[in-house]
Amino acid sequence: MVFLTLEHILTHISFSVVSILISIHLITLLLFNEIIGLSDSSKKGMIITFFCITGLLFTRWFFSSHLPFSDLYESLIFLSWTFSILYIVPYFKKHKNYYLNTIITPSVIFTQGFATSGLLNEMHESLILVPALQSHWLMMHVSMMILGYATLLCGSLLSVAILVILFQELIQIIGKSKNFYFLNESFSFAVINYINISEKKNVFKKTFFSSYRNYFRSQFIQQLDHWGYRTISLGFIFLTIGIISGAVWANEAWGSYWNWDPKETWAFITWTIFAIYLHTRKNKKFEDINSSIVASMGFLIIWVCYLGINLLGIGLHSYGSFTPN
Amino acid sequence: MKALSAINSSNPCLSKTHFLKVPIFHPFFRFKPFSHSYSIHVRGAKTALTPSFTINCKLKTSHDIKSKEKSVSQKIVLSEGSPPPLTEDGDTNGENVPESSQKKESPFGVVRMLRRKTLQILSNLPLAIGEMFAVASLMALGTFIDQGEAPDFYFQKYPEDHPVFGFFTWRWVLALGFDHMFSSPIFLGVLALLGASLMACTYTTQLPLIKVSRRWLFLHSAEAIRKQEFSESLPRASIQDVGTILMGAGYEVFLKGPSLYAFKGLAGRLAPVGVHIAMILIMAGGTLSATGSFRGSVTVPQGLNFVVGDVLAPSGFLSSPTEAFNTEIHVNRFYMDYYESGEVSQFHTDLSLLNMDGKEVMRKTISVNDPLRYGGITIYQTDWSISALQILKDNEGPYNLAMAPLQINGDKKLFGTFLPVGDINSPDVKGISMLARDLQSIVLYDKEGKFAGVRRPNSKLPINIDGSEIVIVDAIGSSGLDLKTDPGVPLVYAGFGALMITTCISYLSHSQIWALQDGTTIIVGGKSNRGKMEFPEEMNLLLDKVPEIVESTLGG
Repeated sequence: MVFLTLEHILTHISFSVVSILISIHLITLLLFNEIIGLSDSSKKGMIITFFCITGLLFTRWFFSSHLPFSDLYESLIFLSWTFSILYIVPYFKKHKNYYLNTIITPSVIFTQGFATSGLLNEMHESLILVPALQSHWLMMHVSMMILGYATLLCGSLLSVAILVILFQELIQIIGKSKNFYFLNESFSFAVINYINISEKKNVFKKTFFSSYRNYFRSQFIQQLDHWGYRTISLGFIFLTIGIISGAVWANEAWGSYWNWDPKETWAFITWTIFAIYLHTRKNKKFEDINSSIVASMGFLIIWVCYLGINLLGIGLHSYGSFTPN
Repeated sequence: MKALSAINSSNPCLSKTHFLKVPIFHPFFRFKPFSHSYSIHVRGAKTALTPSFTINCKLKTSHDIKSKEKSVSQKIVLSEGSPPPLTEDGDTNGENVPESSQKKESPFGVVRMLRRKTLQILSNLPLAIGEMFAVASLMALGTFIDQGEAPDFYFQKYPEDHPVFGFFTWRWVLALGFDHMFSSPIFLGVLALLGASLMACTYTTQLPLIKVSRRWLFLHSAEAIRKQEFSESLPRASIQDVGTILMGAGYEVFLKGPSLYAFKGLAGRLAPVGVHIAMILIMAGGTLSATGSFRGSVTVPQGLNFVVGDVLAPSGFLSSPTEAFNTEIHVNRFYMDYYESGEVSQFHTDLSLLNMDGKEVMRKTISVNDPLRYGGITIYQTDWSISALQILKDNEGPYNLAMAPLQINGDKKLFGTFLPVGDINSPDVKGISMLARDLQSIVLYDKEGKFAGVRRPNSKLPINIDGSEIVIVDAIGSSGLDLKTDPGVPLVYAGFGALMITTCISYLSHSQIWALQDGTTIIVGGKSNRGKMEFPEEMNLLLDKVPEIVESTLGG
């Protein structure tokens, strides 16, 4: 009983902290303010969230004596934990990375919120593991897959951001209305914010745009593109290891390493799409736009792979479906 | 080609245009003079033509053996044929190669040209990207269309009168083989094409990359260095200091006179080759598995036995049985473990293997995730069921009542059996029903269907139903085993391991730095293939450490 209440407390703390953080970020974005104290508090807030979610996972682990991977609720909690890991690691390495933050914080809040919301009430209790899941491979396979999903989601969101910036100019030309003026202003604010905070680096000398805003926008896009590329490469490594460990586990447990199970197939499709992304970057002509489009498709495909298959509830991976067995 | 040589006899200008039109392989399209014996000889010739000729020499030396580049090198050598000094020593080597190939008989030449053209087409990157898209969409389609159902299912699901999306009827599904998508000709064909592209790309693009990246390419002109992505000039410094600082930062440094070349992280450049080779290994292993393995599954009640060879069936044309197929397997005992809540936690089977002479060669208890391996055959515990109930009726027996599965829902199963009471031959025979979810407890119902009681098999407690005294002696389970031999598994595992390692390594970035001492100024340039953002920062930090020489003469 103690564990249950501890779990509840930790869940609610992390949820409230993250919701406060998202409001802070929204305020910073919308109101053009220069209150530095808020950004410090957002860092502290993320660290608090990280510890809360870690505590939550450990509590579930001790309480149920198996690693918290067995159903959808637990894997969602683990997903939000990996998002916060992705925030913490650059923070400790002192990389000044502002784009990842704005993407990670909303992701954490959304996954955490979804998991703790009323939709999944009946799944909050920890279940026992069926015999097929009692294996050491469970730890490696599931953790690598979810880590891979989280990293790839962040990277593909960065590419979506590139596409939005590239096309919002197009939208403005087409739309020519006051609504899009607001979007334009917020993006140019983001760009100017970036300039004010970072040092001037004369990295990209190939630009010869005439207007001031265009030059910095192209620098911004190139920064986003580079960070997206690095993140997606890292996520690709995790996804590869996850799929391979899943295949080896299947071979040890059931005798064949690939069964064309829907979840396996979709994981392979995700892997293929990101392999296409990495290959489109080889060709200098297609580099920016095409690769961003591919990465955005990858974003949707990850969600189909992770949640969509569970919703259908078919195949070997039906542990995580919404309909209780 | 012959016509070109006639036109091109002594016209240096034409050579230059030809050079520009040649589709030169990308990494070489850089003006990096190569300090090699050829180029030194050529520099004696007209200096105005030096740049183009040195590049031609370099291309020749690395590609005169590659069949794909033969077309490229042929064109270039022809353009070199114009100025007379080049027909002497070093270049005759290059000239002989295309000439000798032209002298070969035409059928052989046609084969060579076909092979070259196929390789060129297959290793085209957009084609590979298109193939990957095709594979991905076919797989997605395979998950949406239910696989392996009877044709009737597709008639109903994709009827002709109102087709899905306006055109997709069952004819499409059955004709294209979408009902067994993952073994259908279309899917396997696209996979085979992807495999061929992979092999062609590895051969033509990746392997030369290994040769290229091992060369030390010195840059000899300040202009070339300034054209790099990152370049700086240090006004009063000595190149030895730069070299020392770079070595301290983990670079491998090569100094030659006034110029310097350093690199770091070469593995990051070579690892993608390893990735492609690992993929080829995996595909080869998968093909071997699909064509050369044996599979089978059997449900054996506790106490019985079976011969391995009776159970296994081949899956492809390369399968051949081994000596171990004569082994006989006894199921000594089958038992299950339960959680406190009553759910099944694990099921175990105690197996002993006997060879043809009846001698026991192996004995092991297997469970899920813990298979038995013997002689290339692997036995997995995958399923369980209850085969019979042993009961005593009015102290007579024991009778074995076979249990039939009534409902199976994943790991939750229900088995039942029936003991008739009274006149067996009457059409309306009634009896005692016994139901069991697992081997722990049996639920008994009397002949009206009313609940009578629960008994555990080993308690030996009798129960009195409708005047008969029933004692449940034992519930005999049967073990569901899957057997398999798979020759492709070692290859596939090797491919998996290689893929994991090389993918991790290819995350490293390969940085290259060139420097040239120009008087007292050093011009430094560099590039990195992956870490484009961190590289300039790192370079700035390193160059900040280079000491500034304040005397007017370089101390040396």
